[in-house]
Amino acid sequence: MIARAPIVAVTLRGLLDRKRFWLMVALAAVPVLLMAMAVAFSDQPVEPEDFDTAVISLVLPLIALVFGTSAIGSELDEGTIVYLLTKPVRRLRIVLAKVLVAAALTAALVVPATLLTGLVATLGGSDVLAAGAAYALATALGGTAYVVIFLAVSTFTRWALAVGLVYVLLWEGILADLLPGTGQFSVRQATLGVARELADEPIPSGAIGLEQGLISLAIFIIGGIAIATWRMSRYQVRGGD
Amino acid sequence: MDRRPSEGRGGSIYDLGYRGYEGPRLGRRAAIWALLAHSVRTAYGIGRNARSKVMPVGLAVLAVLPSMLALGILMLVTTLNAPAEVVEAFSPVAYSTIFPFIAILVFLFCASQAPELFGRDQQMGVLPLYFSRAIGRLDYAAARFLGLFASLLVLVLVPYLLLLVGRVLVAPDLFEGLAEELPSAPAALAVALMTAAVVGTLSSAVASLTPRRSYATVAIIAVFLVPNIVASSLVALETGLVGQIAAVLSPPDVLDGVNAYLFDARPDNITVLRAGIDGWVYVVAAFAWIAGSLAVLARRYRSMVV
Amino acid sequence: MSEQRHSSTITVEHASRWYGDVVAVNDISFTVDGGVTGLLGPNGAGKTTLLHMIAGLMAPSAGSIRIDDHATWRRPPVYRRVGLVPERESVYPYLSGREFVRLNAELHHLPDAVAATGRAIDMVDLADAAERKVGTYSKGMRQRIKVAAALVHDPPVLVLDEPFNGMDPRQRLHMFGLLRQMAAEGRTILLSSHILEEVERIADSVLVIYAGRLAAAGDFRSIRRLMTDRPHTFLLRSSDDRRLGSMLLTEGCVFGIELDGAGLRVRTSDYGEFTRRMPSVVRDAGIRLFELRPTDDSLESVFGYLVGR
Repeated sequence: MIARAPIVAVTLRGLLDRKRFWLMVALAAVPVLLMAMAVAFSDQPVEPEDFDTAVISLVLPLIALVFGTSAIGSELDEGTIVYLLTKPVRRLRIVLAKVLVAAALTAALVVPATLLTGLVATLGGSDVLAAGAAYALATALGGTAYVVIFLAVSTFTRWALAVGLVYVLLWEGILADLLPGTGQFSVRQATLGVARELADEPIPSGAIGLEQGLISLAIFIIGGIAIATWRMSRYQVRGGD
Repeated sequence: MDRRPSEGRGGSIYDLGYRGYEGPRLGRRAAIWALLAHSVRTAYGIGRNARSKVMPVGLAVLAVLPSMLALGILMLVTTLNAPAEVVEAFSPVAYSTIFPFIAILVFLFCASQAPELFGRDQQMGVLPLYFSRAIGRLDYAAARFLGLFASLLVLVLVPYLLLLVGRVLVAPDLFEGLAEELPSAPAALAVALMTAAVVGTLSSAVASLTPRRSYATVAIIAVFLVPNIVASSLVALETGLVGQIAAVLSPPDVLDGVNAYLFDARPDNITVLRAGIDGWVYVVAAFAWIAGSLAVLARRYRSMVV
Repeated sequence: MSEQRHSSTITVEHASRWYGDVVAVNDISFTVDGGVTGLLGPNGAGKTTLLHMIAGLMAPSAGSIRIDDHATWRRPPVYRRVGLVPERESVYPYLSGREFVRLNAELHHLPDAVAATGRAIDMVDLADAAERKVGTYSKGMRQRIKVAAALVHDPPVLVLDEPFNGMDPRQRLHMFGLLRQMAAEGRTILLSSHILEEVERIADSVLVIYAGRLAAAGDFRSIRRLMTDRPHTFLLRSSDDRRLGSMLLTEGCVFGIELDGAGLRVRTSDYGEFTRRMPSVVRDAGIRLFELRPTDDSLESVFGYLVGR
């Protein structure tokens, strides 16, 4: 165990320990395989937008959802949170440790997946290596934002997974595309904004760019951590009595 | 009735008239039927609090909306005595076109209710109670699945039925209307059954794999969504055979293909449109999905450690 | 670790706790100051809610709960003084016993977490199984590792929620001994149970809680004595039960006698009066008394009476 960071260690052990982790690895492999098949069987060149479809809109939020809601949610459900709350430990430290682990695991899966996808595409002749790196960096930041949001939601309700899913599928999947100007309120749009500018792509009109994207993500991350910390400092552990 | 206590040294046992049950027992079929009925009630939240009714009842209401809408327009147009062609042009909702909408509702219903049906007993650890009764492991799985299937049939058939009945009533002559609409009935029925079967079996199989209901919901959604996206990407990139395989491996696209084939209509789904697969292949694929899901479900319950 | 220390005091003053319409704890006041105190009550009586408030996991909706004059809710220093053994079985199943206890030690910022972990594990006699994953433990072992985790920071107050759940008699005896030893060292121990026999054997004093209210507090025998309005039953064996019985019937404090194979059962409404009068009656009648036994002086009957009220 990492000596100075017991909460990080126990959260890490918890998230790694089940078949859930391997399912996430399989999910992260999907865009890579997709790209491999596209390269092998298609003549069309790969555009950077394809990274959006494959990774950012689906795999990233799903993986972040599972890790983000489990990091603290499973402890709240099981009741093991008692052992963290009855210690002279700041609630902020608990939240930060769990965000760190969930975000790191998400990035550990999604960043290599994005890089590999770009690599495969480059091997197939498209010039997207730089774009791949740009998207990888953006997904690391976007993943952290997703994780923080889902973690904060899981401190409010047991059904955080469902709520997160509704957010991803309905809000980010459909509405944010339809309603221009809501880009700042969508992690996906913020991530895309960062990625596009870093990859030197043109920004579609109405969509947000690097600065706005970074600001949005920062607000999500800081705000989410603040909300989760506030919630945990008021969390009361009921008994089964 | 002997009520004298039997005395021992320092203790007595009193005969309170307790009797074992020697009467007829209903047996396995009744047990399966009871569980099936119970599953239908669980699926629609009957006998439970309001929160468990929201999703299923809400979806059921949504399911009939397009049919009602279409009927409304039809009635409006016919009272204005427009010719048949105009009527047809004004009804945006035909049997084959309400399919994508219905399919999404069926899928959401399963994502929400299948984990409840299969996960709750696992989580509460009550399966030993079931399996030590007349109902066997596979009987249990079958009863639960058929309960879900029956619930889905209600969800799916009512819109089609409404549409059919409405169109018949709106037609100028009742028998003429019947003659026009009835040929579509078998296809509608087949599509409804196929959709309920494919989505139902797949959701049941996934839901049976984990006691945690939220994981099951996400997994069901992923199993439908991820292949769908993969297939649409591959087909859009014109990868030929690979794209076709991906389309067949994607349940939503398979169902779209079946719908297009049975109604002999142009598919709404871009992937299916561009994949260039013969319609009957989708039907075969649908049966393969059903068989595979049932196999997974059976294996899970046969080998489950309770 | 075995030096005497000044005991910590748990002070509960008019504490109440409600969840919406449901009142879990209803205006409870008491003070616990050293020794082993048993919190007795049926399931649903509010024991866990009360213990969680004392351990700082919940805030009282009204009233105050203090340990050594520090309020317990949201005060990290309080956590250093309290060790809680929660009722819920779940611990981290993927950690070994030692890792779990060590996690608790490190979260308390103990200067030598490894040594403290070893001591705690030895105290609960789990050194053999300490390297196995907690998920493989039996229920009794899991209880004991929870106790080790609660003890690792050497707290002056120990709060245990249904600690003997799942323990076999030998483990229970060992735990009794451990708790008695810690009480002798000056710790304040508060444990809850719905099993009367356990509390009877280990607790110096008892708090009876029923439906969120404190029904009785103190030594259980004196509680019993306080309830003189309830009939006490004695069993007597003498050289002439029949004659003794008819003589006792004339006493005002006796309202019922029963002769059966075991002896003479006397039901009296006034414990004190009966114990004063009875020797005179026996002596005046010239009867030899072989046995005099109260038959409902246990916590069981106290409790049963309170619950039946």
